[in-house]
Amino acid sequence: MIQNVLKETGGIGLFGIISICLFFTVFTGALIWTFLQKKSFLTTMESLPLSDGEITSELKGEAHHE
Amino acid sequence: MNIETFKYDNRVVRAFAIATSIWAVVGMLAGLLAAVELFLPGANLNLQYITFGRLRPLHTNAVIFAFVGNGMFMGIYYSLQRLCKARMFNDTLSWINFWGWNAIIVAAAISLPLGLTTSKEYAELEWPIDIAIALVWVVFCINLFGTIWKRREKHLYVAIWFYIATAITVAILHIVNSLEVPAGAFKSYSIYAGVQDALVQWWYGHNAVAFFLTTPYLGLMYYFLPKASGRPVFSYRLSIIHFWALIFIYIWAGPHHLLYTALPDWAQSLGMAFSIMLVAPSWGGMLNGLLTLRGAWDKVRQEPMLKFMVVAVTAYGMATLEGPMLSIKSVNSLSHYTDWTIAHVHTGALGWNGFLTFSMLYWLFPRLYRTDLYSVKLANWHFWLGLLGMMFYVVPMYWSGITQGLMWKQFTPDGFLQYPNFLETVLQLIPMYRLRAVGGSLYILGVLIGCYNLYKTARQGRFEPDTEAQAPALERSGHGAESGHRWLESKAGLLSVLATVAVLIGGAVEIIPMFVIQGNVPTISSVKPYSPLEVLGRDLYIREGCVGCHSQMIRPFRSETERYGEYSKAGEFVYDHPFLWGSKRTGPDLHRIGGKYPDAWHYNHMDDPRLTSPGSIMPRYPWLLTQKLETNSLPARIAALRKVGVPYPAGYEARAQKDLEKQAATIVQNLKAGMVKAESNREIIALIAYLQRLGTDIKAGQAPKTADLAPLPQTTVSLNP
Repeated sequence: MIQNVLKETGGIGLFGIISICLFFTVFTGALIWTFLQKKSFLTTMESLPLSDGEITSELKGEAHHE
Repeated sequence: MNIETFKYDNRVVRAFAIATSIWAVVGMLAGLLAAVELFLPGANLNLQYITFGRLRPLHTNAVIFAFVGNGMFMGIYYSLQRLCKARMFNDTLSWINFWGWNAIIVAAAISLPLGLTTSKEYAELEWPIDIAIALVWVVFCINLFGTIWKRREKHLYVAIWFYIATAITVAILHIVNSLEVPAGAFKSYSIYAGVQDALVQWWYGHNAVAFFLTTPYLGLMYYFLPKASGRPVFSYRLSIIHFWALIFIYIWAGPHHLLYTALPDWAQSLGMAFSIMLVAPSWGGMLNGLLTLRGAWDKVRQEPMLKFMVVAVTAYGMATLEGPMLSIKSVNSLSHYTDWTIAHVHTGALGWNGFLTFSMLYWLFPRLYRTDLYSVKLANWHFWLGLLGMMFYVVPMYWSGITQGLMWKQFTPDGFLQYPNFLETVLQLIPMYRLRAVGGSLYILGVLIGCYNLYKTARQGRFEPDTEAQAPALERSGHGAESGHRWLESKAGLLSVLATVAVLIGGAVEIIPMFVIQGNVPTISSVKPYSPLEVLGRDLYIREGCVGCHSQMIRPFRSETERYGEYSKAGEFVYDHPFLWGSKRTGPDLHRIGGKYPDAWHYNHMDDPRLTSPGSIMPRYPWLLTQKLETNSLPARIAALRKVGVPYPAGYEARAQKDLEKQAATIVQNLKAGMVKAESNREIIALIAYLQRLGTDIKAGQAPKTADLAPLPQTTVSLNP
């Protein structure tokens, strides 16, 4: 019975091939990209949220941490 | 260097913060009432506006779009300005975003209890509100991209990418899933039917979770976690991989909501495979968050905000491990339609979204009001009540889900169902439902304490409407020697295009074949459009939110075909605009209910379910017996259905009323035979017509059944293969 439902693969052959190629390309691309980044750049980016240019908060610093 | 001085807008951030706090209480109270109704069916006081079926979408919409939605805007409006070192693009747009969004929520809070719903989960709002959502979202997008455009910080921090992906994807999802043809001011029919509607809906539903509840909150995590711990992100490289992998994989996973249904197998497998892959980026993100706290764990002890954040990120990790596990077909065959899913989503909602929102609120209020938090002790109370509440919610739901799933599948040694009466499996769960309500109450108590704490914090401080900041102007030079990702991420436009492409691929690969390849929905010649009375009955079924508790999708398991009858076929749903497969069985599946009981049984059952099924937890629907069936809109409904592809003959609108009356008269006769005196123009008649039609078309070849309006069989029919 389950076979009845499942045997239809819907004839998606080409779509399947295109999608696996796209998936592989995008994924590998993103990985290579990431590992090409320079350390100095990454360090800057890592701490970007810590400097928001607020005049008052920089004066008061983290004094308001409970 | 040209240093510029400018101001961050705190007003709109505060407005969203207050809104998210208020909606948290409202949305969760609606959830609590819904939870109570499940063990105390009279808790709606027989008011139709707050029956479970109408309350559930109100609860989910309030929590998702009101509580999390406002929380998301709060966090984005705060962090985006600071990450871009620029005020929001346009203050007026900010306020249109705020008032527009909250007006939509108010419209939802009015329309859903009135039963104005499309019935598509998390997309229940009717078409005028859908249009309003699209417009407000466009305003948000303009404001987002405008701010990015006028930024003073050259590089786009990863949080902003998550915001961009959110903005674009939610727009696409909302528009594609909401394509519908209006039949009056407050009624519409989805342009998709059956299997296709199901696929589009769950492509939307799953990615609403992904791009409304997850990506924006991940962006917020990447901002607020380093901010609060005073430490840089553990690995920026990992965050890049996290981003691309997550947005690219997430979009494919929607079909895991439809495992073992009539959806073609290839789509199910695709959904399952990508769901399992999702563990990797999700856990990468979680670990990146937790490891950001390395060396700062002492702060977690003292700072309530960080406690909430740590639990939020951990809950994210748990939910995103569990999600892929639930997407494995064999696990899903047990978990689907049970409370296990409810446990899963509440780990996400209460833990991830809830705790992250409170974390942000505890961080923001002292800063917006330039003061200290009113009481760290109360915040700790909130934390522990919330955590305990979550446990008391989630654990009973696991227990309940697994218990019921196993009971449904249990056979006796002789090969009969051990629990053939569905109700028996429900009664086992009542203690768990009570415990769940206790858990929910604890959580809400925590939220109330939190709101009080925030209110007192605001009272003791002085609100700072604008925060002054300084940053050098951004020199917009050419990209010159820049390369690779660095060049890309400074180009917001290109980044957006690539993110859109990444998101579109998955959706397109699933949806296009489903529409262009005929073989995906094999037609069944005996399946005919609904009669006018059945159309109205179906619309009542939608209005009352029956789909919240009853599925119409029998999976091809022996345990299901024994209980309900022949498994559901894709071709049976070609005229179902929208599909009503459902995703939870608090009550039994209804796909083969047609002809199973006499009309009079349905009449009595809707009047008071406990008359026919002692112990049932279904609410009463006495108003269906007294309210007059509204038929003025019938021609508009028939015309709209024809527009979406149901083959009613031209000019059928003129004859529809007559056909309707004829069928109603037959049902009144049947009721009379069952000792029930009923008028033919009441809503219950239409509902009975629809219920008696359900799942009967495929039997047309076996039992002679002339026009759609033929009297329906009154005896229990065995559909077992």
